Amino acid sequence: MAKTYDYLFKLLLIGDSGVGKTSILFRFSEDAFNISFISTIGIDFKIRTIDLDGKKVKLQIWDTAGQERFRTITTAYYRGSMGIMLVYDVTNEKSFENIKNWIRNIEENASADVEKMILGNKCDLDSKRQVSKERGEQLAIEYQIKFVETSAKDSLNVEYAFFTLARDIKAKMEKKQEASNPAPRTGGHQLRANEQQRKPTSWLSRCSLL
Amino acid sequence: MRYDERDSLVADPDYGSILSSLLVGPCALEYSKAKAPACFWTDPPADELVQRHRMSAGTTTPPSVRRPILNFRRSLNASSDDSGSVNTGSGKTGGSTAKDYVESLHQNSTATLLYGKNNVRVQPKDVEEPMPGYLSLHQTAAGLVIKWTPNQLMNGYAESEGIDKSVYWAMSLQVCVWEVVYVHVHRSQASDALILVGQDGVQRPPIHFPKGGHLLSFLSNLETGLLPHGQLDPPLWSQRGTGKVFGRGKTRRRPMPSLCESGETEEAEWEEAAGDYVFRIVNNAITDREAMRHSLLERAVASPPRTPRRPLASTSTTSSDSSTMSVDCPPPVGHNGVPPQVPSQPQPIEQPASIELVCSTMRRQIISRAFYGWLAYCRHLSTVRTHLSGLVHPNIVPREGTESGLTEEVWRSMSDERGAVIDKDEVYRLVYYKGVQHEIRREVWPYLLGYYVFGSTAEERTEQDAECRRQYETTMSEWLCVEAIVKQRDREATAASIARLTEASGKPKPVENPEPCEVFEDDCSVISDNPPIVSPEPSETEQKRPETKPVLSRAPSIDEVDNIEMDSEKEKDDTKVNGETETGDSRDIDLDSLKDLDDEEEVHIKSVVENPDLRRESIAEIKRLAEGIVQKGEGRGLLCSVDSANMNLNGSDLRSSIDESQPQQSPHQQHTSVIITNPSVDLAASGSPASGGTTANVSPARSPLGVVREESHSAGASFDTLEPAADQRPEARSNCVSPASSNGGVYSNELVESFALNLHRIEKDVQRCDRNYPFFNDENLDKLRNIMCTYVWEHLDMGYMQGMCDLAAPLLVMMREEASAHALFARLMDRARDNFPSGQAMDAHFADMRSLIQILDCELYELMHAHGDYTHFYFCYRWFLLDFKRELLYQDVFAAWELIWAARHVASEHMVLFIALALLETYRDVILANTMDFTDIIKFFNEMAERHDASGVLALARDLVLQVQTLIENK
Repeated sequence: MAKTYDYLFKLLLIGDSGVGKTSILFRFSEDAFNISFISTIGIDFKIRTIDLDGKKVKLQIWDTAGQERFRTITTAYYRGSMGIMLVYDVTNEKSFENIKNWIRNIEENASADVEKMILGNKCDLDSKRQVSKERGEQLAIEYQIKFVETSAKDSLNVEYAFFTLARDIKAKMEKKQEASNPAPRTGGHQLRANEQQRKPTSWLSRCSLL
Repeated sequence: MRYDERDSLVADPDYGSILSSLLVGPCALEYSKAKAPACFWTDPPADELVQRHRMSAGTTTPPSVRRPILNFRRSLNASSDDSGSVNTGSGKTGGSTAKDYVESLHQNSTATLLYGKNNVRVQPKDVEEPMPGYLSLHQTAAGLVIKWTPNQLMNGYAESEGIDKSVYWAMSLQVCVWEVVYVHVHRSQASDALILVGQDGVQRPPIHFPKGGHLLSFLSNLETGLLPHGQLDPPLWSQRGTGKVFGRGKTRRRPMPSLCESGETEEAEWEEAAGDYVFRIVNNAITDREAMRHSLLERAVASPPRTPRRPLASTSTTSSDSSTMSVDCPPPVGHNGVPPQVPSQPQPIEQPASIELVCSTMRRQIISRAFYGWLAYCRHLSTVRTHLSGLVHPNIVPREGTESGLTEEVWRSMSDERGAVIDKDEVYRLVYYKGVQHEIRREVWPYLLGYYVFGSTAEERTEQDAECRRQYETTMSEWLCVEAIVKQRDREATAASIARLTEASGKPKPVENPEPCEVFEDDCSVISDNPPIVSPEPSETEQKRPETKPVLSRAPSIDEVDNIEMDSEKEKDDTKVNGETETGDSRDIDLDSLKDLDDEEEVHIKSVVENPDLRRESIAEIKRLAEGIVQKGEGRGLLCSVDSANMNLNGSDLRSSIDESQPQQSPHQQHTSVIITNPSVDLAASGSPASGGTTANVSPARSPLGVVREESHSAGASFDTLEPAADQRPEARSNCVSPASSNGGVYSNELVESFALNLHRIEKDVQRCDRNYPFFNDENLDKLRNIMCTYVWEHLDMGYMQGMCDLAAPLLVMMREEASAHALFARLMDRARDNFPSGQAMDAHFADMRSLIQILDCELYELMHAHGDYTHFYFCYRWFLLDFKRELLYQDVFAAWELIWAARHVASEHMVLFIALALLETYRDVILANTMDFTDIIKFFNEMAERHDASGVLALARDLVLQVQTLIENK
């Protein structure tokens, strides 16, 4: 009866409407593609548990409505997320330009150390391409965010993107953990202190383990 | 069994602090508390949850909505049924409780685990040997609960599927401590045993602890857990504070040295240690004095140790226990100095007094409970009145005679010889209770949505339809003009980006002048920096409106749409036009001035449009002519002036004219213009000499005004005559106010931009609207798109919002015809627009839902309350926004919508609330059984979409309305 994961990461997909957020999520969670996705209203999420360096990482990925009008709802989800995927559509110049706005949105609403990644989706549609890969890379360098072009339809780089983001979050977490626990000697002490803060009743607990 | 492992991430000492910084926002709560244990097994999909529920519950419990329950009932009857008293041996609900039970063993938000120990042995009934199992002590809101679960259940839950576990479930033990009066402790060489004796005098099977101080540790946890509302009597430790040291200081006086020291000095002191003790669990409700007195009754003395393993007969009473298996027990020193007494002596003396005391206490309790019950009921009803009376109509409309619903037969019989349906109340009533027969929905819906007036004759309705269609065409013709402009700009931008992509491959160029964002409305101030190029003074516009008839108009049939779009495609391909649409009054001045300006070429087109069919030709004609002009003009800026001056209301004398001239206008002129800028890239393609310079200068992301000016300038290089026009335009702009709304061919730049924005959104959503339904082929998607554009054109201030497509789609499916679907959609939006983010209705809905759940299903409410995040009710968001359109299949959406519309007049203005509540209630057992939190419930309902039993849900919704009505009526 072991628990089924070691970490739980909450991720968020944002970007203009119609760039393929839901398709990316569907590709990642179900490994399928459906041309006829209806626009997302409100919020939804999907779960997939992945194996990352021997740890089971449960990814809870939230899909949001793209239209800015619904930002009041979606920004509520920024804060809890540990990783954010910024998605644009390589066949849509505007969606690329709006990435800057989305980043500003993140800066305003998400926690400061949230991991980010830019995805240029629909890269299979090369004939309709409006945004070159180089421009995407340039933007990513400008903001110091990782970038990859994806295709939910051809299942290109979708796995890679989520794994990369999850790995970054995990690394960041472990780094923080080390920072907060410099010496193993004092670790036990801190542990108790933390526990008491967190759950006032937990000090009452006694347990015997055999 | 390591219960502590099962804690959430936040409980992790290391990650907890990191995570706690993220704990804001509804979904963050995921981390903030120990997760409901369900998620540790798997994340079962919604289907499976429902399935599991059906299986475990045996029979699907109908979504019974409880009678309103007094909210504090629980806190008063702390030890009542809800904490699940004892379920040993019953095994009746084994399946359904199994999951709950196992999950309840974990630390969770409602129960704190105080103690957990495995390999504690219990000998259940009908079993010969004591069985090892997991013993745990939980602190819940209702009090302490002791649970014991056989190892077979704990370990084999996932492994041995085939074995029937019900027999083990029957063995598991769950005891609410408040129901236990006595705790007997029997110590022997082999093990320590603990027997709980309930208020009813029935004993639970003995619990055998392994040696090594575990029993003591359990008791001390029990004692701590009882505080502050109760205590063990006699206290486990006579000297609080000092006594709580395990196995140290033998010389210190303690009531139970053997217990205390057994942990470390077991062997040495065993002879003294072995023995029996009795504790009484004292509830503070009973006075201290009385408690003490009672404790004295049960003090047991002097009996040789015997094996406690033998289960006691369940009928044996407390006194018999204590007499048969008691041992010498030193008196509790801290206990008011009362000396130890032999039970047989004090019992007869003390009993009358204590019984009297008990009786008086009970009397007081009964009275106070009755009072609090009454008080709570009053409060409850006041809540009902305050919060809910506005949600339903006070009078209950009877249901009788609605069994068949509104059938075609009934409907026909209701209309009189002139085709008028008078009895609207009856129609609403029938629809509310049973819905409309599908065949006549198309006829009835316009009434339900308030488009047709009850009592109108067939003739009047036909007229209304014609008028509606006429207006629809008018509006369409307006936005089609703008659409053409937008399309052209898009092509320009697209071509430019592609061109840039190919040119500057490898050298990404930062965007200097981003286009107004489509998504970020806040940033659209960019647009307003670009005032309209030419637009009329608002007052003029106002005056003109009544007379103004659009030039371009068409019947909304599909082939025509195709025609027009083909035309506009062509136009986009070939045209280099500065088109100007004038309003009537300015026409003469305009023409004069244009003539004064000495045009080189002027094409004046007049077309008489007498009916919609002809109008359509006129559009084609105009476009054809425009093309011709373009060819003549060879890439020069053209002023296309569509004259609508002399149109009268019935459209018999429509003339339209297209004037070609240079785009030179005097600032005082009051005409308005649509500037169709030519795509510079097209110019490049056409190889016109003037275009070379233009292309180089035009950035794809430039604002429209910029394009126009740029073009003017660059064109000016070739054509000197254009120079003054470019100079004068800013002045012309300065003295006019852009019209915010659409009217009579007044197309400011701002308007065009704003419409372009919406058009893109609409197209994105229409293209992916319900593609799984065969109805939505390209033809019908075009219709949907037209409806959307027309509505948005009429409500440009509101704009397109995601979800509108969903609302219009069922109407189009039903009406099949654009104009009437549009008319109904407009009615629908009158109510629905408040649900969209700009309105306030959604928050109100959430608040109402909260109140309703609180009153109608307090158990569910408590679960939601426990998860604070429920208060957001975001899982209902889509329900309310789209009137359940995505939750149900089309056929069911029809029924649900009819119900909502009819309910306004029959039972409740807010039927959506009750349908939402019905949906929630339908799955309440699943939700409760899995203690779903916010994220679980969102996932659950998103996965359950279009799988609901709609008729059941709707029937339940009506019942809920009735329930609230009854509740209010009975105040």
